[in-house]
Amino acid sequence: MSEPLIRVSGLKKNFGKLEVLKGIDESIFGGEVVVIIGPSGSGKSTFLRCLNLLEVPTAGQIWFDGVEITDRSEWKNGGLDAHRREMGMVFQHFNLFPHMDVLENIILSPVKVKGLPRAEAEDVARDLLEQVGLTDKIHAHPAQLSGGQKQRIAIVRALAMKPKVMLFDEPTSALDPEMVGEVLGVMKNLAGQGMTMAVVTHEMRFAREVGSRVLFMDDGIILEQGKPEELFNAPRNERTKEFLAKVM
Amino acid sequence: MNFSFLSKYWSYYLIGAKNTVLLALMAVVIGVMIGMVLAVARVGKNKFLSFLATAYVEFIRGTPLLVQLFIIYYGLQAIGIRFPDVPFMTGLLGINFADFMAGVITMGINSGAYVCEIFRSGVQSIDKGQSEAARSLGLSYPKTLMYIVIPQAIRNVLPTLGNEFVVVIKESSIVSIIGIADLMYKANTVRGNTFQPFEPLLVAAVVYFVLTFPLSKLLARIERRMRNHE
Repeated sequence: MSEPLIRVSGLKKNFGKLEVLKGIDESIFGGEVVVIIGPSGSGKSTFLRCLNLLEVPTAGQIWFDGVEITDRSEWKNGGLDAHRREMGMVFQHFNLFPHMDVLENIILSPVKVKGLPRAEAEDVARDLLEQVGLTDKIHAHPAQLSGGQKQRIAIVRALAMKPKVMLFDEPTSALDPEMVGEVLGVMKNLAGQGMTMAVVTHEMRFAREVGSRVLFMDDGIILEQGKPEELFNAPRNERTKEFLAKVM
Repeated sequence: MNFSFLSKYWSYYLIGAKNTVLLALMAVVIGVMIGMVLAVARVGKNKFLSFLATAYVEFIRGTPLLVQLFIIYYGLQAIGIRFPDVPFMTGLLGINFADFMAGVITMGINSGAYVCEIFRSGVQSIDKGQSEAARSLGLSYPKTLMYIVIPQAIRNVLPTLGNEFVVVIKESSIVSIIGIADLMYKANTVRGNTFQPFEPLLVAAVVYFVLTFPLSKLLARIERRMRNHE
């Protein structure tokens, strides 16, 4: 097999005395859609947030695109920011910037970080907005958008940086039920275009239909993993069975 | 009560009010500049700078304004620092510009500590998700502050900051003690000239109120409008 896009080795994370991640070894390959499921408090989100170092691991290493990003000597002179701009992240609570309109939200980072000319960044933004069906909201402010619209804009904002991987941290958990579909639809399209994705979610149907691999996390470790049909139809671990019985 | 002195002395109050507003304006500008620098130092990662900023704030808030005024007024002279006299300003104020600056600087230094706390609470009121989103897009820490945190924080603290201006207008009456011809000083002059100890003070209180009340009302309205826009 080829070199993985992200490789994690011996990843541990403590919050004070609480051990949230207890040693994770995992690889994510280009083009994969890895769906991470598990009960709340199992460390799914923390694992995802460690991947772009929003949480700094207590121990272990992470390689991204062949470079060890947990190497602190890499962090100086913007090394960390350089890695982060290649990893898009979508949050549960959208985190759009409320003092900017939709267009400004999207082009901020391409212009201020990548140094893209404004006109070019706007073209990229328009293109992406069309793909998610929100062209008419280009000058709206976040407060004027529904939850589903906000999340689609948040996805576009991350995509505008042309990342190599997209991290989704419970992207539909804060949405009203009728808006979940529109966001999952956008994510499904994205997967269809070959984007590498890591998705923490409670949407089992999405995991089953779109995921190329499903990881079941419990108590800070990856307890079981496999292709969606394997894991959902024939879970081997007792804890996995229990969890799936509750959520399916 | 006898207010007939007003027909002769009303212009004293006008000049005093003008000087008070001028002093408060300059002091708040200085205070905002000091406060911004202090706030960035206080919330920043550098422990030493953060300590210095905290020490400044605590010291200023823990000592009387009158003491600070005397330290600046006599202290600067003692160590040989003298503000250059600007004839234009002296003419405008009707008093020595160098003395006036001692008042402005004291009020500015004092206000800076309070403005720092206003900004700090403004920065801390911004949801952590905002800076996380910015960092995840590759923005550096300074750029995150500059484009995401500070603009939102300033919007949040604008009404409180305006209120600080109101506070400075009131507190600045203390500079009359070092002979700055502000509203309070002028009122005292009228008291001396008319041998009426009481009535001129009432007029001064009314003028202070006329200065601050519309401002407070305006700020309350701005605050309401901003909240409706959320």
